[in-house]
Amino acid sequence: MQDAVLMSPVAFAHALRKPVSGEVNGMETALSFDAADVEASRSKTLSICDVSNLNRFGVKGPQAANWLQTAGIKLPETTNSWTPQDNGSLVMRLGNTEFLLEDRPENDLARMLNDTAVNEGGVHKVMRNDAAFIVSGELTPALFSEVCAIDLDGATLAENRLVMTVIAGVSATLLKQTLNGQSVYRIWCDGTFGPYLWKTLLSIIEEQGGGPVGFNFYYSLT
Amino acid sequence: MKLLQCPINGIRPLSEFTYGGEYRDMPNPDTCSDKEWAAYVHYRHGAPGVKKEWWYHGPSGTWFIAERDTMADKVVRTYIAGQEEAK
Repeated sequence: MQDAVLMSPVAFAHALRKPVSGEVNGMETALSFDAADVEASRSKTLSICDVSNLNRFGVKGPQAANWLQTAGIKLPETTNSWTPQDNGSLVMRLGNTEFLLEDRPENDLARMLNDTAVNEGGVHKVMRNDAAFIVSGELTPALFSEVCAIDLDGATLAENRLVMTVIAGVSATLLKQTLNGQSVYRIWCDGTFGPYLWKTLLSIIEEQGGGPVGFNFYYSLT
Repeated sequence: MKLLQCPINGIRPLSEFTYGGEYRDMPNPDTCSDKEWAAYVHYRHGAPGVKKEWWYHGPSGTWFIAERDTMADKVVRTYIAGQEEAK
């Protein structure tokens, strides 16, 4: 019997564009949509990339912070902020007692934590099935001004702040980080809303002259 | 656009929030009379004035209290339940 391969929650929205697909972290994902130079050009103008396949670990509870610190994880000090680990994993503090970790493809901190049994009170794992995107390009303010009611320029996302807001009618978590030397926005939403949000953002992105880029554009797999 | 101050996430458009009903102290169901319990379940105080209300910020899952003047539709202050002394 074959092992099941998950598909990205956005996979059906990708299909019409016939991307080059491959398996990353056990999830079928769009690795590229076009030639590398075309995708590079899009990323400078306005682009969206599906990174739902990255490993994630959610945990909450009054003892969650202690539990993570005991595991050697550096935590953001305040609610609605994030901090990178030395290996590049992101740790987001979604509330006083709730955290979300996300790995880069080459590390496995979130996977290890998912595999760790939690046997103490006040620590509860949170199942995650996010659709996750990277949005980049110089026209991102024009995109967000159409779909988001709060002003994301300026200090809102400065100094490792994150924002939980509504994007195109969907509750989402948003932050700004530097990835491969490029300033990008990261978006997470419930996976069931992923295809809608992908299509909505992509339609605006294409109006602005941008387009989709594949997973390999940000995380080259060798 | 109407705005509301979430005590955790700051000022946001009202479309991010859901009204959760008037905040009322629940009588102890083990010790109160049937009349008191029925009044708690069925009666609402409809006169305009400053009311305590439950509001919910959907994107972050935050429940909080807003004190709102229902005559002027003006929010006086918002705070997390149990933390009103800090505000």
